[in-house]
Amino acid sequence: MRSFLSYIIPLFLLSCQVFASDYYEQLNLKPLPHSALLASFDFRSNTSLSQFEAQNFRYFPRSLGQILQHVGTRELHLRFSLGRWDAASWGARPWDGTKEGGTGVELWAWLEADTDEEADHKWLTLTNALSGLFCASLNFIDGTRTTRPVMSFISEGDHPNSTLANMHLLHGILPREVVCTENLTPFLKLLPCKGKAGISSLLDGHKLFDASWQSMAIDIRPVCPSDQECVLEIEQTIDMVLDIERSKRPRDNPIPRPPPGHDLKCNSSKPYHAGDTCFPADSIEGQEWALDQVFGKTMKGTCPLTDPDVPPVCIQAPDSRDVYTSAGVTELKTPSGLSRCYKVPSDSEFSLVLPRMSHEGENAKTNADEMVEPETPLLYAERSFTGHGQERGGVQSILTNPSPDTEVEFIYMETLPWFMRIYLHTLKTRIEGISGFNEDVVKEIYYRPALDRARGTQLELRMRIPPASTVFLTYDFEKSILRYTEYPPDANRGFDVAASVITILPSTAPNAPPARRKTSNLRTTSLLLSLPTPDFSMPYNVIIFTSTAVAVAFGGLYNILVRRFVAADEGPAVAGGLKGKIIAGVSKLAAMFKGAKGKVE
Amino acid sequence: MNHGKMHLQETAGLYATAAALRLALFTLFPALPDLLTGRVEISTPVTSFKRLQEGLFLYNHNVSPYDGGVYHQAPLLLPLFSLLPDPSAYPIFTYVLYIMVDLLSAHALYKIAESGEAASSRLFTSARKDRRWSGYVVAAIFLFNPFTIATCLARPTSVFTTCAILHAVAKAIYGTPFTAMLSLSFAAYLSMYPILLLPPLVLLAYDRQHASNRILSLLQFAGTNVAAASVSLGALFAVSYLLTGSWEFMSSTYGIQLTLNDLTPNVGLWWYFFIEMFDSFRSFFLGVFWLHLSSYVGGLSIRIRSQPLAVVTLLLGIFGIFKPYPSVSDASLFFAMLPLFRHVFPLMRYSFLTASVVLYSTFLGPAFYHLWIYYGSGNANFFYAITLVWSLGLSLLVSDMTFAVLRDEWEVERPEMVGKEIRQI
Amino acid sequence: MPRLLSTALLMRRDPRLLKLPPYLSLLCIVVGVAWLLMLPLDDYSRRTYISENALLPGQVHTYFGGSDQNVFRAYRHEVDALKDKSNTEINDELENIFRGIGLKVGRQNYTYHSAGNTYSGENVYAILQAPRGDATEAIVLVAAWKNVKDEFNRNGLALALALTRYFRRWSLWSKDIILVIPPDSRMGTQAWVDAYHDAHDASRVASLPIKSGALQGAIAVDYPQDGRFESVHVVYDGVNGQLPNLDLINSVVNIASGQMGMGSSLQQMWRHSDKYDDRLKTMLRGMLNQGLGHAAGPHSCFIPYHVDAITLQPVGQGWHDEMGLGRLVEGTFRSLNNLLEHLHQSFFFYLLMHKERFVSIGTYLPSAMLIAANFTIMAIFLWIKSGHVEINSPSKETKSKPATTETSKAVEEKRGAAAERDLLLPLSLVAGCQFLGALPLFIFNHTPSNLLAPIFAIFSLINLTLPPLFSHLLQARRAQDKPITLQHYNLSKSFSLLLLGMFLSSLATLNFSLAFLVGLLATPLSFTRPWPGNAIAQYAYIALLNLVSPTTVIAAGAAAWARYGQGEMGVVQAVTEVLEEAAFGWDVWGMYTPLVIWCVWWPAWLVGSVVVLGQPGTAIKGDTKKKVL
Repeated sequence: MRSFLSYIIPLFLLSCQVFASDYYEQLNLKPLPHSALLASFDFRSNTSLSQFEAQNFRYFPRSLGQILQHVGTRELHLRFSLGRWDAASWGARPWDGTKEGGTGVELWAWLEADTDEEADHKWLTLTNALSGLFCASLNFIDGTRTTRPVMSFISEGDHPNSTLANMHLLHGILPREVVCTENLTPFLKLLPCKGKAGISSLLDGHKLFDASWQSMAIDIRPVCPSDQECVLEIEQTIDMVLDIERSKRPRDNPIPRPPPGHDLKCNSSKPYHAGDTCFPADSIEGQEWALDQVFGKTMKGTCPLTDPDVPPVCIQAPDSRDVYTSAGVTELKTPSGLSRCYKVPSDSEFSLVLPRMSHEGENAKTNADEMVEPETPLLYAERSFTGHGQERGGVQSILTNPSPDTEVEFIYMETLPWFMRIYLHTLKTRIEGISGFNEDVVKEIYYRPALDRARGTQLELRMRIPPASTVFLTYDFEKSILRYTEYPPDANRGFDVAASVITILPSTAPNAPPARRKTSNLRTTSLLLSLPTPDFSMPYNVIIFTSTAVAVAFGGLYNILVRRFVAADEGPAVAGGLKGKIIAGVSKLAAMFKGAKGKVE
Repeated sequence: MNHGKMHLQETAGLYATAAALRLALFTLFPALPDLLTGRVEISTPVTSFKRLQEGLFLYNHNVSPYDGGVYHQAPLLLPLFSLLPDPSAYPIFTYVLYIMVDLLSAHALYKIAESGEAASSRLFTSARKDRRWSGYVVAAIFLFNPFTIATCLARPTSVFTTCAILHAVAKAIYGTPFTAMLSLSFAAYLSMYPILLLPPLVLLAYDRQHASNRILSLLQFAGTNVAAASVSLGALFAVSYLLTGSWEFMSSTYGIQLTLNDLTPNVGLWWYFFIEMFDSFRSFFLGVFWLHLSSYVGGLSIRIRSQPLAVVTLLLGIFGIFKPYPSVSDASLFFAMLPLFRHVFPLMRYSFLTASVVLYSTFLGPAFYHLWIYYGSGNANFFYAITLVWSLGLSLLVSDMTFAVLRDEWEVERPEMVGKEIRQI
Repeated sequence: MPRLLSTALLMRRDPRLLKLPPYLSLLCIVVGVAWLLMLPLDDYSRRTYISENALLPGQVHTYFGGSDQNVFRAYRHEVDALKDKSNTEINDELENIFRGIGLKVGRQNYTYHSAGNTYSGENVYAILQAPRGDATEAIVLVAAWKNVKDEFNRNGLALALALTRYFRRWSLWSKDIILVIPPDSRMGTQAWVDAYHDAHDASRVASLPIKSGALQGAIAVDYPQDGRFESVHVVYDGVNGQLPNLDLINSVVNIASGQMGMGSSLQQMWRHSDKYDDRLKTMLRGMLNQGLGHAAGPHSCFIPYHVDAITLQPVGQGWHDEMGLGRLVEGTFRSLNNLLEHLHQSFFFYLLMHKERFVSIGTYLPSAMLIAANFTIMAIFLWIKSGHVEINSPSKETKSKPATTETSKAVEEKRGAAAERDLLLPLSLVAGCQFLGALPLFIFNHTPSNLLAPIFAIFSLINLTLPPLFSHLLQARRAQDKPITLQHYNLSKSFSLLLLGMFLSSLATLNFSLAFLVGLLATPLSFTRPWPGNAIAQYAYIALLNLVSPTTVIAAGAAAWARYGQGEMGVVQAVTEVLEEAAFGWDVWGMYTPLVIWCVWWPAWLVGSVVVLGQPGTAIKGDTKKKVL
């Protein structure tokens, strides 16, 4: 044991002093209304570009690094997301939404290539390699799902002007992809501590994918600090919103059976309150929770490779909220009084307990004491289909600018599948909540129409919405019917339409608050588009029926064209046999009718 | 020439009522035009007015309308319609344009009927030739045919094709072959398939030349006319090239009719067939269908050489059934030509049957489409079955008329056979 | 094909065959009716089965119960406290409860005008967003404040609230759950679902503030009765006789009987001995509801939007408590939650005759089609007959003799003239009657309700006098130049029957029962003919026609309803209510039954009566023909 320690400690010190600044990780906890908890994990490590070119990876995952080098990727962003962020009650998004993607898997990268074809080819290689690496079907991002955004995505890294010239931005999204544990495991493998120690040891598939909303992000970008040499930075983040009540359930008994009557939290102020009558009050009172409860395991020390100056765990709660931690933990409060961080000894287990705060009796606590009020986002966005039936429909996006005084400018980008034929001339905007506003909110349109079976629609709008107003953006589309081989196995479920990406541009006003000085992102929910379906069971019947119809028409006409007329009694004698009988019968009947007709005169 | 004036006077009332009726429908039911524009029975991907508006929008905003999957119509329509004020703001101009086009078609039809070509051509004169409706009646039947009215309200671009074809025929009959070729090539430029009408039309023009400058050799005549047609077609293409700045309109306008990329349902037989078609056979059957469509031209022109107008009519009927994107407007063109041949009606055997079949499918079609698309309680086979019935009914009508025309010819050879039972060997 | 057709169609000219069609169409009618009566037999109906495997009904444990009952009681107290409050106050309170549970709440105002009355109200609805879900699909739970019989749905509401709160604890929902609480069952849901699909008229119905994804199914809970219940009554009729997917009904029945051990019943057949007569009764009741095409419950308005929906009504006195119904709903929602695709596997066209027996469209459609076919047969027959009507005219010998001697040319011309059908008069008569049908439609949809009964009486009287008037007018108009021949009557009848058959056969695919009932009541029309000599026959037949005239049938139906329906009311009041309901359906639900009655059935009836009263001038046919020549 002793020898072991004596062996490990120098190594640890060594690592600290040499690579300390090259890797750090941090967990930010933020209680939200309705007993929800936002946990955002942030892992960042970087390696100098020279080392990277020399294939000399330290913290940078080799598996990823080699792919990037192979396809000449200068900057890469990969997102795995699930669920929806409830902006109405949770407020602004973590990281200003820059580290989240639309539902499913989203990928965009800047590739270095001389021509578009080369870029496409490299993109194909990249997606295939990544799909292998992350067990996600990224290889389904084909030409019809790839777009080249013009205004929406801004490069985050510092690129030398030499490369900027021939860098191609490609963007692809798979709304149908269901993110799950098999994506988490490779994600953790990329970390230096591989989920064995430090905050990453809290990550558990069951809890992560039971969260109401979660987003895993990987960003790789070159960063050039002013004084020293450029480094390639990889940042991995996981953001999740846990429903505390749900995640507190033990794993062996996850079924939400009704609690015993006496455990119900009732509102005893009701007149009819009795033993068998209980108006539930649990929604008013906050939950009590502990770190190991909500994550299902305890945090095993810190990752020995991390920067010791960075406290691994922070929680955003007002000082009035009492928080108990395990022994040996030092608490650092921020001057704002709204958040505090904890330094954790490297080898001890760390836990965190937040007791319920009673809202009654003396020293009753209010919500303000319990949690930090979530700040309102810059923009609310909601998108839905209009109309019904499987012939045509419309899309309606409701964009609300909540701020009372400042207008918001953003870029609204839609990437739609080709079989959703949109009519751009039906694009309309209607503004509510403000009177006498007559300038067009759409400042600029970039539109690339879809080509059947070749590429999807790409629509980018630069819009500016005046303060305290709501804009309704609507356009019509037509649902095209596909070849029966082009439908998925569950054709009647419909096709997922990717979320639209909203990039809020940094405000140019001189007196703008810091929150508005940087770009922030926002994504609507994805949509389910139901197309008309043919009958999959009868290709043969259809082919036969149609061919018969054609043959009958053709044969009938040519039959009349090629034969010559003779009177019924002329021409060759009627042949014997069945055919003869039939013809005889026909002519007999014909004679009758003609007789009848003859009498007319 | 006072002749023209004269019949203009007598038809002015008719045209006025037709125009008034359409205007009334346009203005009294403002929702009706858009409703009909949305009907798949009337608007096809290659004629839809809504798609035209989209193409126009893109064209006016300097996006190439052919670099997309929506607009598949001829380039020259774009400047024409961009001259008109925006249809959504001032629809009246569009309405007037379409009404005018209908009236022009009716007028061409009037002239065709007045010429009496249908019953007595250069090489053949029917025994029943005085059983004919005047141009007035024929034009009226065209103008008040519900299919025509619905087409006019839905404003598909196929009405221009109709107008061009009718004028081509009229010009050919009135002995101005080059004008005929010009307008035929315009029709072909708009929607491709009319080019198949070239042979019978050349024959028609050849038969109806003016005595003054008649070319005796059919070959020479055909040569010059085909040349004229191709030259004017080439000119149109050149203009479109200059207009759009690239040749991509070719693949987008005519390519789609050859490859059937857009499988939107219509009254024809192609869409469901190629939805259910196995990918490996797709191109083969596309070839077969086009071959089939063009196979009628030769046979009819040769067999009914003596009555080119009948050949044109029959071909129009066949196109209305078997072209890639048929619609009710093609059927209405056929129904417009039919009354010219009133003299053979008594010889037609299944008139009531075909009439009731067409009526039934007219009513059942929308019902089944609604069941499939909106209620979701029926599936695609419902509508497909009705399109099958519709096509069979029309093809029965076509072959029945062919029979009637041939028998009419034959009875001239053998007058004693009138009213006797006959058979074909 | 022309060859085959010529064989088939040459036969039509056979004089012997010409006698056949009337009997043929009679046969069609008889077979059609007999066919329908055969359906309940075991050999023709099938046992129901689940064809959508994803549903897995009754495969999950349901946990609703226990202490949730305490919560349910509390909510019921809340609901009771609101009983006499105004719509807005109620919605305010409900909104508080919803927000307490942590749902997104929306409200919607609507106002409808029909038959001079104004109906308005405010819906409140709450969306439980599926955890991990993405607002792509949703299931709807409807608990109307009042049910169709205007009873206070107190248990249903409390149950819906308790259920929603319980559902929120689960994390397995793959679809959002929307709880809709309309103030009434007749138009609230209509307004809501219209607005959800943006098919609403913005001037009368407000748009929805928040929305979710595509609706996959809807269950309405209608539980006004107090105490325990014995079985649940599944109401499934939609507007215009559309039906939900059979799988939905099957799963509910399956869960109820298999898992909960509670009975289930259809079409108010509380006691169903799975025998012929009960099956027939169930089927006929179903057909009547379908034919009327009115909304049978809050679920009905969903079905036209291709959202499968049913209403659950606990009935009888038994040992199942509210929690039992709750578990039933929970089980059904779990099944719907399993769905990957929109319900499309099973049948949309069916007649249920027992909760576990049904006939599908292939089996029952022929009966309606046969009825429609009989009209078409008669139409074709009359057309052919009118083609050479002169054969049976007495003057035929005098005509045919010279014809044989004359030259072929003359024959040719005469023939042309003889085959000539004078279409103008018949066409204008039929067309006129058809357009006339718009008149009663307009009148009865725009009359204030207090005037409906008198106006109906007046209209019935006019209806009696119209046919004689018409035929007299015809005679008068044509007397001087050409008298009306038998051919004219035959042609008019032919056209009107052709139209009738066409409309009915198209209608049979949309609303089988309506087509069948109208067809059945219109069958006398296919045997109308002028009785020039025989006045007794003529008046007898007119009397018969008046017995089955639309007005008489409506009055009789109303009377029967007043007699046997719920609640005591006079015939006049019943008529008023029937017509009011029709107008309401036309204005609010888009119900097209009035259209069918006034624009399909009535014109045909009118033409038929005119034909019966007709006095064809056969005596002077000779110079008629000379004129035609």
